[in-house]
Amino acid sequence: MSSHEITACLSQRVARFVVSVGLFSLFAGAGIALADETCNSPYLSSLIKGQEDYAYVWTLGVRGVGDGWDKLVTIDVNPASSRYGKVLHSVSVGARGEAHHMGFSDDRRFLWAGGLDDSKIYVFDIGTDPGKPRLVKTIGDVTERTGFVGPHTFYALPGRVLVGNLSNSKDHGGMTGLALYNNRGDLIQSYPMPSSNGGDGYGYDIAINPQKNVLLTSSFTGWNNYMRNLGELVGDAEAMKHFGNTVVLWDLKTMSPKKIFSVPGSPLEIRWSLNPGDNWAVVATALTSKIWLIQQDSSGEWQAKDVAVIGDPSKIPLPVDISITADGKGLWVNTFMDGKTRYFDLSNPEHPIQTYEKATGKQVNMVSQSWDGKRVYIASSLLANWDKTGENDEQFLRGFDWDGKALTQTFEVDFYKEKLGRAHHIKLGSKALKAAYADQPGQLASRPR
Amino acid sequence: MRINPDSWRRVRVDRASAMKWPLPIALALLIGAGGALAHEVSSARADFIPPEPGTYRLERIQALPDGAVIDTHNRRARLAKYTQGRVTLLSLMYTSCSDPSGCPMALYTLQKVRRDLEREKSTGNRVRIVSLSFDPAHDTPDVMRAYSARQTQKRSQVPWDFLTARSPQDLRPVLDGLGQDVRVPADPAAAANPANLTHMLKVFLIDRDGWVREIYTSSFLVPQVMVNDVQTLLLEDGGKLR
Repeated sequence: MSSHEITACLSQRVARFVVSVGLFSLFAGAGIALADETCNSPYLSSLIKGQEDYAYVWTLGVRGVGDGWDKLVTIDVNPASSRYGKVLHSVSVGARGEAHHMGFSDDRRFLWAGGLDDSKIYVFDIGTDPGKPRLVKTIGDVTERTGFVGPHTFYALPGRVLVGNLSNSKDHGGMTGLALYNNRGDLIQSYPMPSSNGGDGYGYDIAINPQKNVLLTSSFTGWNNYMRNLGELVGDAEAMKHFGNTVVLWDLKTMSPKKIFSVPGSPLEIRWSLNPGDNWAVVATALTSKIWLIQQDSSGEWQAKDVAVIGDPSKIPLPVDISITADGKGLWVNTFMDGKTRYFDLSNPEHPIQTYEKATGKQVNMVSQSWDGKRVYIASSLLANWDKTGENDEQFLRGFDWDGKALTQTFEVDFYKEKLGRAHHIKLGSKALKAAYADQPGQLASRPR
Repeated sequence: MRINPDSWRRVRVDRASAMKWPLPIALALLIGAGGALAHEVSSARADFIPPEPGTYRLERIQALPDGAVIDTHNRRARLAKYTQGRVTLLSLMYTSCSDPSGCPMALYTLQKVRRDLEREKSTGNRVRIVSLSFDPAHDTPDVMRAYSARQTQKRSQVPWDFLTARSPQDLRPVLDGLGQDVRVPADPAAAANPANLTHMLKVFLIDRDGWVREIYTSSFLVPQVMVNDVQTLLLEDGGKLR
């Protein structure tokens, strides 16, 4: 597997963020979050800093398995519950469209989920009854309205959801863009990914640092590749050239690209350090198996450099998802091909050091952790046509305890045995996040005075 | 976009210092001492220069939902009466909020924004501020009048209205429509404490036609950004900045 040749880095000047402007701190105070369960938008209204009750798993339908449709599966993950590790609820969307990622609205009342093949966005109400999500809206005109295909990342802004897409309807390649919706699901605006001055036009993840007024985006590949059989794809040298090689730094307020970094090998998930005062983010590259650091230098200029390798890059371990700890001192990395979950010490972000690894499945993709870092959840599926086959095609959600030294499995839900499908993205939920006004408008009025 | 460092004005904010005060004292200071407090406390930091007014576009996020409100004299009206015809900063709040980074922060920030806007001749009679309580059970017109006394007594080219509602039902279309989450503790004892409403701080920027054009939460409640956004909308209306 060859990676795309590095292109010259853009020399576009970027505004220098060197002067302090008064801003209220982002990190303290009830109900205010820089991030939620370590890897969500900083604009979410509620954190689960204690024990989570639910894991929501966006699941790819498999023909002949259960009803065969994509579905949102709710699993009890509270060890104190009599139904710990059991499926509590499942809601099918009546389609099989390559279920992939999800994201909460800023009020955490709704969970948006996307299909990479059918380009539909499904909005689930999780605020009325967090244990029983309901499908309340389907946005079916993403491509018609924007020209984009494959809504992937759902990132909350105040009153809005910014959607990162993977492809386009013109040639189904990697040129794509961002689409901004309000929380009602109305399209507000779309923004093409930059395709000049070093930009390749590809898209994938979104990560915002409000304090810096910076939005970062990464780049994967288009529908032609992600819907293709992985074995065939890897054998097609021409197709393998069509992966993203850039991370774009945007001015968040103006939604304009300010700098484009050359990050070869398809940079995927981006995570800002949540530690107050930190000014860096990390991103892992799938094809080149590296951790890159995006950081401000001493003059305030943003720079990117590779700081660590993940496994043996020559063996293509294929790092997929990453999860940063709340204190910014550690990073979980899942590598799909070897089924390993690795922990990197990020105490010095310029020199991450792997301190632990464990084979957590025959194939592993998504990894999520609780805010306190004591619980780690792992799901198996990458893409329907990229997952392994035969006995290596395990499909699960597994829960682990992490004591700082080792992962100990605490439960498993076998998604084939339960006739659910392929387990992909994980988001956490809580009974306490039931919205008071949503269904009990009189509750405030009857509150004791 | 060109950033002119000379145009940047240092904005000093006091959240960290304000949190050192016992809440009642801090609230009294915030309400009663206003400008003086701003000079006594030092700033938290942010590391970017807000873009100049008019160099960017504020998207039309959504139409502002309407609802029935009452003012501090118990006069009933539609919310739209207070949000159309001028560029409006609408803050959803409640007076017994105990979170220093919640409603008190919004109040202080709006005081700062108001002072800055008052210095801009171009904003004259074209901007207003509205604080709307989402806890009408406690925030009666009398409570809101007392809470607002310092603001409403002051003659300003940036008027500040304090509103509440007759019932939560009246407010529900506004809160649901704006995605303003409000949560009451399940435990009755905890729910009895008026300081225990959980909500996310939100301030809405609304254009003359009633469209929400920006939403500020604690993560982006920067006075200079808010002032620049207001001026950006004024420029859209053909205004000229000083």
